[in-house]
Amino acid sequence: MSKKIMVVDDDQNIVDYLVTLFEDNGYETCSASDGVEALVVMKDELPDLVTLDLEMPDEWGPRFYRKFNQDPELADTPVIVISGLSGIHLAIRKAVATVSKPFDPDQVIQIVQETIGG
Amino acid sequence: MTKQLLLVDDEDGLRRVLSIALQDIGYEVTTASSAEEALRRFDEQRPGIVLSDVKMPGMDGLELLKRIKEQKPETEVIMITGHGDMHLAIASLKLDATDFITKPINHDALEVALKRAEDRMAMRRQLREHTENLERLVEEKSARLLQAERRLATRQVLEGLTEAMGQLTTDMDAGETIFNELPCFVSVHNAYLEIIATNQHYRDRLGDFVGANSWDAYCDRKPDDEECPVGKTFRTGRGQRSREILTGLDGSEIPVIVHTAPIKGAGEDADVELVLEISVDVQEVNRLQEELRQSRERYRHLFNAVPCYITVQDRQFRLVEANHGFQRDFGGEPGQLCHGVFKGRQSPCRNCPVEKTFTDGQSHESEEVVTTLSGDQVNVLVQTAPILDAKGRVEQVMELSTDITQIRQLQDHLTNLGLLLGTVSHGVKGLLTALDGGIYRVDSGFRRGNEKQVQAGWKVVRQMVGRIRSMVLDILYYAKKRDLRWERVDALEFANQVADIAETKAREHSIEFRRDFARDLGEFEVDPGIVSSALVNLLENAVDACLMDRQKKEHRIRFGLSTRGRAVLFDVEDNGMGMDKETRNKLFTLFFSSKGDRGTGLGLFMSNQIVEQHGGRIDVDTEPGRGTRFTVLLPRVLPDAAKCATNESAAASEQPSPTCGQKC
Repeated sequence: MSKKIMVVDDDQNIVDYLVTLFEDNGYETCSASDGVEALVVMKDELPDLVTLDLEMPDEWGPRFYRKFNQDPELADTPVIVISGLSGIHLAIRKAVATVSKPFDPDQVIQIVQETIGG
Repeated sequence: MTKQLLLVDDEDGLRRVLSIALQDIGYEVTTASSAEEALRRFDEQRPGIVLSDVKMPGMDGLELLKRIKEQKPETEVIMITGHGDMHLAIASLKLDATDFITKPINHDALEVALKRAEDRMAMRRQLREHTENLERLVEEKSARLLQAERRLATRQVLEGLTEAMGQLTTDMDAGETIFNELPCFVSVHNAYLEIIATNQHYRDRLGDFVGANSWDAYCDRKPDDEECPVGKTFRTGRGQRSREILTGLDGSEIPVIVHTAPIKGAGEDADVELVLEISVDVQEVNRLQEELRQSRERYRHLFNAVPCYITVQDRQFRLVEANHGFQRDFGGEPGQLCHGVFKGRQSPCRNCPVEKTFTDGQSHESEEVVTTLSGDQVNVLVQTAPILDAKGRVEQVMELSTDITQIRQLQDHLTNLGLLLGTVSHGVKGLLTALDGGIYRVDSGFRRGNEKQVQAGWKVVRQMVGRIRSMVLDILYYAKKRDLRWERVDALEFANQVADIAETKAREHSIEFRRDFARDLGEFEVDPGIVSSALVNLLENAVDACLMDRQKKEHRIRFGLSTRGRAVLFDVEDNGMGMDKETRNKLFTLFFSSKGDRGTGLGLFMSNQIVEQHGGRIDVDTEPGRGTRFTVLLPRVLPDAAKCATNESAAASEQPSPTCGQKC
């Protein structure tokens, strides 16, 4: 059974980009456009990995991260931060990787594979 | 010379013969036939020689002799006696007759007698002349003696005076013998306008003029010029001062300033007896003065012509001098304070470069914002230089301020562009990522033969290219101005929205926040996004001003909305710390912050630009310790210039482009 990746970004174009990328590489996907929605989706889908944008309306990335980590069912889900903000590696210290936009798709796939396998 | 002779004889024949004989030997002869007649003739003619017969009817010759000798003793009287009248001859000799001859008259004897008479006359004349000469000589000699004595005395006084003056100047400033470098020609003149004495320097440089006329030493005075300084002194009785040119021994011209002083005799109304003339060689002084004048002129010209503001200040920062540029743009009379004229401050500026230069004697630099007479703000680069006195102490400081407003404006502009780029860069990253995504999906769709995915991806690519294009245009057009995205907005609703945002911050710090809004203002044309940023910025500044004021316990902010003519007026009033004039003047410049580390200096600059772009203006009324009031006037209807660009912009961008205004 293939692994599932949740893409969280307020820019629908980027969601579409990542979803296509992951599906092309044989992963299942789900997505959300802000922190509040992301928590709901995450509980439903129980993804193996989350790619997270930091700057989003309503609830930004770090707060969503804290919230899902308080839920034992979801805690410790690996997170890859993908953001345009500078200094992003400090925002979520436990993230497996931080990738700045614009990113190299091969690099993202490599990190995903190293984290949850192909 | 005609010799007059009076011949007296009662014998007509003798008289005639003798008078012919006498005329032959050169006498002018007058005859008389009696002693009485002879006396009358003598009175008329006063002849030197009288030749008279002794025996005559009436008054005889002896009596005549006696009378003549009484009248004029030096008359030579020769008596003619008969042969044998020896006693008469002796008697006549006793009566001081010159000689006597006997009848018949021997021609030779006559000539001898006449010769003797003439010799006696000549002798007497010589004697008289000698006596007269002698008297005159004695008179002359004694006068000369007197004058010589006087001259000697004068010369002694003169040399003494010169020496004393020389010593005096030497004593006054040891080492600096001004007297030698500014030599004086001293001379004394008498009432005949003759030079009677001169000092050594006079003799060395001009020659020996003693005995010459007073005007002779001047090269341009004509002969008999009694209007020369000395002549005037004698005429007026008062000392004179004039510029003259003397002729030196070597023929050179020596310009001098001539001073004269009358020396009067004893008594109050005494005449001027002598005049003392002292001439100072001003040749060197003239040259130096001219040189000094020229270089002063040059410096003065430079001082005024340089495109800088130059002032010279004393230790109290009082203006000693200010060049034309400074006076034109800032006013500033000598004596006014630099910080008052330049910045409208009561007290000296912090880190004043002039003060530093007074302290360490070095040049210093600073950058200031100053306000001209017409209210314009000018960025100046200030440089100082010490002006030292003779002892090397800093006496004054010169301050040179260069107007760098244009450079500063350009810098501000570039900085803004940088800021704009910084602000949009985050958005750009998202755009580029989305563009990558579009391209990836197109590629991926082609690989899988998924036409739908290709189309979706291509749509994203087009969309992103469009946005990037509009963003780039925004940046490029920043050089003009960011276009307004204006709309008609209800003023009251707008004010309330702004107040909602700002009130939270005030409440957090227990600052009273009061809305003072007029009702029924209707709509006005505004770019609500950026104008609300600007107003929020002013309100947040008011909060900060309250927080920084430690003197008052209770603080309040009033946010007002009203109309003024055809404009909408927002005002933000606080009772915080207030600002001094300098802070107020710098307020709208980029990166100026009165908040120290907590401020960026960006806010008010942007706010001002936003309001100006709307054709409005921001005014500030502030007082240190009392508070500040900002009034923002915005026209109800935007000027056409602010509006028309908007449509082009809307056409160029499909979506609102990022702006710096909202980030302020």
